[in-house]
Amino acid sequence: MTIVQLFDALLALLLLWLAWRAVTDAVLFRAVVSFVALGLVLALTWFRLQAPDLALAEAAVGSGLTGALMLAALRRRSDRSSPTPEGPVKGAALRQLPGWVLAFVIFGALSWAVLSLPIPAQGLTEEAHASLEKSGVTNPVTAVLLNYRSYDTLLEIGVLLLAVVAVWSLRVAPRLRPGSPSGPLLEGLLRFLIPLLIITGGYLLWIGAFAPGGAFQGGALLGGACVLVLLGGLTVGPMTGRIVLLRTGLWAGLAVFIAVGLGAMTSDRWFLEYPVERAKLLILLIETAALISIGLTLGCLFYGGRPESGSSDRSSP
Amino acid sequence: MTSDHLLILIPLAPLLAALAAFAVPRAARRIGLSASLIMVFLSLWLGLKISAHGPLVHTVGGWPAPLGIVLRADGLSALLLLAVSVVGAAISIYASAYFGAPAGTAASRQSRFFWPLWFFVLAALNAMFVSGDVFNLYVTLEIQGLAAVALVAMAGGSDAVHAALRYLFVSLTGSLFYLTGVAVLYGETGTLDLAMLGEVVTAGSPSIVALVLMTGGLMMKAALFPMHFWLPPAHSSAPAPVSAALSALVVKGGFYIVLRLWFGPFDDLVSTAAAQLIGVLGVAAIFWGSWQALRQSRLKLLIAYSTVAQIGYLFLVFPLARSADARSTVVAGGLVFLLSHAAAKASMFMAAGNVLRAVGNDRIESLAGMTRWMPISAFAVGLAGVSLVGLPPSAGFVGKWLLIVSALDQRQWWWVAAILVGSMLAAAYVFRLLAPAFVMTADDFRPQPVPRIMEWSAFALAALSVVLGLFAWLPAGLLGDALSRGTGP
Amino acid sequence: MNGAPLELFLLVGAALFACGAAGVFRDAEPLRRVIAVNIMGSGVFLLLVAIAARGGGDRPDPVPHAMVLTGIVVAVCATGVALVLADLSGGEEGDDDDGERS
Repeated sequence: MTIVQLFDALLALLLLWLAWRAVTDAVLFRAVVSFVALGLVLALTWFRLQAPDLALAEAAVGSGLTGALMLAALRRRSDRSSPTPEGPVKGAALRQLPGWVLAFVIFGALSWAVLSLPIPAQGLTEEAHASLEKSGVTNPVTAVLLNYRSYDTLLEIGVLLLAVVAVWSLRVAPRLRPGSPSGPLLEGLLRFLIPLLIITGGYLLWIGAFAPGGAFQGGALLGGACVLVLLGGLTVGPMTGRIVLLRTGLWAGLAVFIAVGLGAMTSDRWFLEYPVERAKLLILLIETAALISIGLTLGCLFYGGRPESGSSDRSSP
Repeated sequence: MTSDHLLILIPLAPLLAALAAFAVPRAARRIGLSASLIMVFLSLWLGLKISAHGPLVHTVGGWPAPLGIVLRADGLSALLLLAVSVVGAAISIYASAYFGAPAGTAASRQSRFFWPLWFFVLAALNAMFVSGDVFNLYVTLEIQGLAAVALVAMAGGSDAVHAALRYLFVSLTGSLFYLTGVAVLYGETGTLDLAMLGEVVTAGSPSIVALVLMTGGLMMKAALFPMHFWLPPAHSSAPAPVSAALSALVVKGGFYIVLRLWFGPFDDLVSTAAAQLIGVLGVAAIFWGSWQALRQSRLKLLIAYSTVAQIGYLFLVFPLARSADARSTVVAGGLVFLLSHAAAKASMFMAAGNVLRAVGNDRIESLAGMTRWMPISAFAVGLAGVSLVGLPPSAGFVGKWLLIVSALDQRQWWWVAAILVGSMLAAAYVFRLLAPAFVMTADDFRPQPVPRIMEWSAFALAALSVVLGLFAWLPAGLLGDALSRGTGP
Repeated sequence: MNGAPLELFLLVGAALFACGAAGVFRDAEPLRRVIAVNIMGSGVFLLLVAIAARGGGDRPDPVPHAMVLTGIVVAVCATGVALVLADLSGGEEGDDDDGERS
């Protein structure tokens, strides 16, 4: 066995073992930790399978932000006055059986299907690379996301906005309980990290045109910065004026995307059909607005509710 | 196929409305009502254009399939878009009165968030009905699911939150099953375009597994038995306009995609046995839903179980539409039934909302004497009931009739029996509603006032579902030969 | 970095999907269900990325990558909403999975 094969086998085993732990561990906290670790191993796997864009996104969003969301939820759950007793599935072991039978059947069917996939492999690699010059970028994943299949990405930015609206409609954000008193160490760290995250986010946005990166990865870092701001208790003063700004930032991504798309239609083109010479610029424009929206959205998801305003209902979100 | 630049407005209009309603919450109601009007115009325009020119195509981004996403609208899309916009407009009008409350109260918060969420649902449905790409359909399914869940939980309270959570998990699981099927399909064919898939899909293990996975996932979304368990709690604990939207429109999305898949890429792949199986599940839904509806003491739960039953009828289309000759009749029957159910069910939930507003609870015995203290809503329930049972001249009757005729033609007697028994059961649970309503109360009962517009919108939809039967040839004509063997989007 | 054993990763993807499905089905605790759904998603993503690596020789197929990226974002959105609902529900999901109580 070569080193590489060993590495692959190890990856596969880790993935399986962590997934198993995440689903079956009796202690919920350990399950969450396994889940976060799974995300990181998954990011490694994306690198191994030649998907660096995904590795960035997985590490930041799939593992990092989702992990933060879960840990926060876990904390709130244990804070509740009558926490339900910990433990695995309620009911006898017999009740668990149908779930595992189902899993077995699904695994069998899916394996049978994927192992019978045709050779030579079908795919759109050729088409994607052939049109790359006209797309305005050289990173093929960015080309797919922001040009060939930009409509999907537009709807996806819609999903982000929808998530914020949904969370805001459900409740006012709960108070973030301060952890250990924030001292100079934490503050110093945040002063360093937050600007770094913002700058790196912008950098990822810029290089996404020609190297792994893009609006989502950059937006994820921006979201991380927002989470740090929230955790460090750095929001001070009334939110009244800022809520309008926040709100605008949240819908700006979708608005710019639709505006560019409609604008393209003016000279008898299709929706979102960029003129070839402007493609790069338009993509950058869309991605910048999207970056802001994505970052703010992820921060809002972590915040877990609509921001409370001090004053009358008219200015509350 | 005619190219059409304006087709993109169909999904964009509600999406922009959602955005605007979120950006300017104070104007949310006005934005919502205007957008509903615009949607009705757009879908009328689309229907007329398709009758004149045939199916329309929009190549988003200028990239044709397989690399890009293509929007396609045929008679089926036009019909469903009309249904969504008309029933949606009625729901919007109803909701504007339902949520009308002075600023500062909890109700005004609901109103602020209802409109963006509602228009996200409409955007998802609109996008779904014109999409020609299986992955794009996945994204629309997710938008629809997430928005619907938030709407269910809007009323607050433990029941609503638990129902919403359950709905969310079923919805996500369904979407992921569907996505897995998409992945396998892509691995096998290298394309995500529905039309191209129609040409390239061959009978092989990947396609079969993809078919099962996708259908399974969509069954969860459409609440087809046995994946129906999430529906009654969700639809009954939501606010009335939300229940109307969910039962009338949202659940039909899953059915639509199964229709496109089974009569599109998987047309040759589906075996007679599979089609009969899904028909059997439909019958199970009809019986189980109707029986449960009979057992309910709460109005909204009864109506929700009725939805479970009525969805079953839709899936009878599959075993009956196998042969090329029968297909257009059967699909027309199913679609007319769908339209009728959408209008009738929305009307019923609206009327239930009126009862709740007037009486303070939705126990069925509270309906006693309703014809005296809330006659408009009582007659709405009556008319809607006529359509649900399938009495002439309602569209419900026409739909069932077309299915029965086709079943007799093909000698599939058992479906006829199922439809007839189902109709009798429907008559039974509708009677459970109407009996107290038309019985006189002993004393004067003063209900809380209910805004007129809430009553009239319920009545209008109920009347529509009955009158539509007289004009059933219009939707059938619009359908044309959509979904016929060998052609299709 | 080539010659990755794609069959292996396809199978792992299938396994993750199945594992997650079992988890959603049998667990009642909302937080566990969230984990399970995310694992299901990861399974599908792994399938897609492996399919992408199959289709193209040297250069992977970018279309499944874009699908996965979209999927990751959608997953985190759904997770965000689910966790708020879980908070509001106070933990257990109430009576389990019959739903036929009237």
